[in-house]
Amino acid sequence: MNDTFIVSIVTFLYFLSAFIFLVSVVFRKDNAEKIATVVAVGGLMLHSLALIIRWIHSYQLGIGHAPLSNFYESLVFFSWSIVFIFLLIRKQYKNSLISMFSVFFAFLILAYVSLSNTLDCQIQPLIPALQSNWLISHVISSFLAYGCFAIAFGLSILYLLKKIINNNIVNLLPDTAFLDEITYKIISIGFVLLTLGIITGAAWADRAWGRYWGWDPKETWSLITWFIYGAFLHARLARGWRGIRMSLISIVGFACVVFTYLGVNYILAGLHSYLEY
Amino acid sequence: MKTKIYDLLSSVKLTVTLFLVIAASSIFGTIIEQGLTPDKYRQIFGETFFHVLKFFNIFDLYHSWWFTFLLILLSVNLIACTLKQIPRVAKITIKSGKKIDDSLFTSSQIMNTLYFKEPQSDIEKRVSLFLKSISNSLTRVSNNGVFYYFIEKGKFSRFGMILVHVSVLFIFAGGLIGAIWGFGGQMNLVEGGKSDTVYLFGNEGTKKLDFYVACDNFSLKYYKNGIPKEYKTVLTIINEDKEVFKSVIRVNHPLTYKGFKFSQASFGVAGAYNFRVKVINMTTKEENLLTLDMMNKVPVSGNDLSFAVARFESDYMGQGPAALGVLIKPGEEHDIFWLNKNSPIQRGDYVFMLNDFDIVYYSGIQVNKDPGVILVWIGFILIIVGFISSIFFEHIRVWVRVSTEKEGCEISIAASTSKNKDIFKEKINRMITEYLEGETA
Ligand code: HEM
Repeated sequence: MNDTFIVSIVTFLYFLSAFIFLVSVVFRKDNAEKIATVVAVGGLMLHSLALIIRWIHSYQLGIGHAPLSNFYESLVFFSWSIVFIFLLIRKQYKNSLISMFSVFFAFLILAYVSLSNTLDCQIQPLIPALQSNWLISHVISSFLAYGCFAIAFGLSILYLLKKIINNNIVNLLPDTAFLDEITYKIISIGFVLLTLGIITGAAWADRAWGRYWGWDPKETWSLITWFIYGAFLHARLARGWRGIRMSLISIVGFACVVFTYLGVNYILAGLHSYLEY
Repeated sequence: MKTKIYDLLSSVKLTVTLFLVIAASSIFGTIIEQGLTPDKYRQIFGETFFHVLKFFNIFDLYHSWWFTFLLILLSVNLIACTLKQIPRVAKITIKSGKKIDDSLFTSSQIMNTLYFKEPQSDIEKRVSLFLKSISNSLTRVSNNGVFYYFIEKGKFSRFGMILVHVSVLFIFAGGLIGAIWGFGGQMNLVEGGKSDTVYLFGNEGTKKLDFYVACDNFSLKYYKNGIPKEYKTVLTIINEDKEVFKSVIRVNHPLTYKGFKFSQASFGVAGAYNFRVKVINMTTKEENLLTLDMMNKVPVSGNDLSFAVARFESDYMGQGPAALGVLIKPGEEHDIFWLNKNSPIQRGDYVFMLNDFDIVYYSGIQVNKDPGVILVWIGFILIIVGFISSIFFEHIRVWVRVSTEKEGCEISIAASTSKNKDIFKEKINRMITEYLEGETA
């Protein structure tokens, strides 16, 4: 079976799961929450299967490598990471609205992947610089970190909504102190994973270019992101900051994540070529 | 005054500020491309603005005086903060629990008092079940008929945070040593050539090694679609005319010799030889295949014309490889023209076509020396260990006081955690219901 076809089934399953979570929110049905979770788990399993099939397929093509190398593959894995992290920590909060947003986020990424016609979903051979096991651990830890930050971002938005407006839907959210704490917890896990991502990236750069750090834009932006979340943790733990300020840092942090991931390639690259001519 | 400065330098307020300032200023270095030539910057920014940016060293921002200052300030902050934390952590971990007094039950993070009708001995069984469900190391002391229980778990996690902070110092120290005593540069070796000169990055001149590096062989493999698959260089280290070391380097598989690291970074075309040029005489239709090397003049079809190749470009005007041909007629000016591969060009009676040639590659090798890198690796390993203990474990302490009252007895519970107070509070409440109130309810 073709992995891109499985990914389209997974896209549908995530949508279905998000929809059932919504039903469970609106009608306050615990059963629906359970069903939605099962659908999400099923989706994640198929999603993993798609990754494995793609991996095997690349070996059959004689250009074997982990499916983590181009933009298409990284988006698919980003979506996988979000659902994986969400299922891992869901017991901690068990709130359908948060679950719905997490799965919906993963769905949106896959929907973009399926609908975009500029994205190349062919398995491409790896250039020599990318042929490294460090790269695999680097991508996995970075994207798991991004998954944590994505969920924390969603939680921070919900937190702000809950603070600012007051209606029935928002009242379904857990209370703000709890949201605040769970956001902190996810961010601290994300921070460790991001650190691991930066370290494995440094180890890879050291193998490939003989230096572990070179201040290139991608490296620098990952460090900027790291400092923002570092500020988040210290402001909270040692200065006792809570609430809206923390949500804002978390939102800025996620903006940095997105910029590290996309902006560096698409905006800065363009900017530099513009400056040169 | 002194303590005020020390307080500021060890404050987390400074840490958060520095984190945000360093993050914000790093952005400029990614927007303004680093390390171009001064003329280029003049052209982009104009004369006046150029001087302002130059003063702040924006063109090499990450090595500028003020960015270095921020990093040093962060290290000082970190050292001061760690010195402050160590006694605090030592106090919490070494002394904790040893001293139980009643004030704990009115001043802890989590407190709860329950009353029971049952006699004390019954209740004590439940209390020890309750506490043992958290940890096995139970301490029990009595004082005038009042019993105190204490358990704790995850003490080591308190050191994790210190370990994280100390490892950042290792990384900074390694970075500093590398910046002062290390260097990085490039060496382009033509196949068969050798050199002892490294061209340093950032237009910083050259560095001579005290040995030679020779490229015995360079080889290149492509995928079917034309993307490079693998390239490698057979490197020999030559010291005082003796071959001391030979090794193959590939991308991601460098060679280290005497603390110098040689990494395969790039490759390129250094030149070509053995050009095969077809010459057709348009009047006689006679065809002739010339085989020649660079700058080596050969006669064209037996008459007094001769031909030579004067230059080679691997990509001439974006049209692919081309050779600069020179047609030499005695007594006339030389006729000079570019010959693109496989595209015929007519000069007078003759048509010339460059059929083929052999390419000489150069191997682009990065040479780095970084005596600080070992500290960085140690720091990386320690920071991960520290993280795991500080973030995934928490230091939990629970104290229970059992005292007999007129009817039954009173239980006071106090608990604290190094993190996630609310989550822990819920857990304690659940356990109270399960172990202490369960049977009475
Ligand atoms: C680049 C440098 C630094 C890194 C990577 C770092 C990292 C961390 C981490 C991972 C934690 C634990 C977070 C958690 O448990 O969720 C932490 C806590 C803390 N850090 Fe830092 N830190 C740095 C610099 C500093 C500096 C300079 C200071 C002091 C002024 C500082 C003071 C603290 C304090 C007071 C805590 C809280 C300890 C507690 O309450 O348990 N940190 N840091």
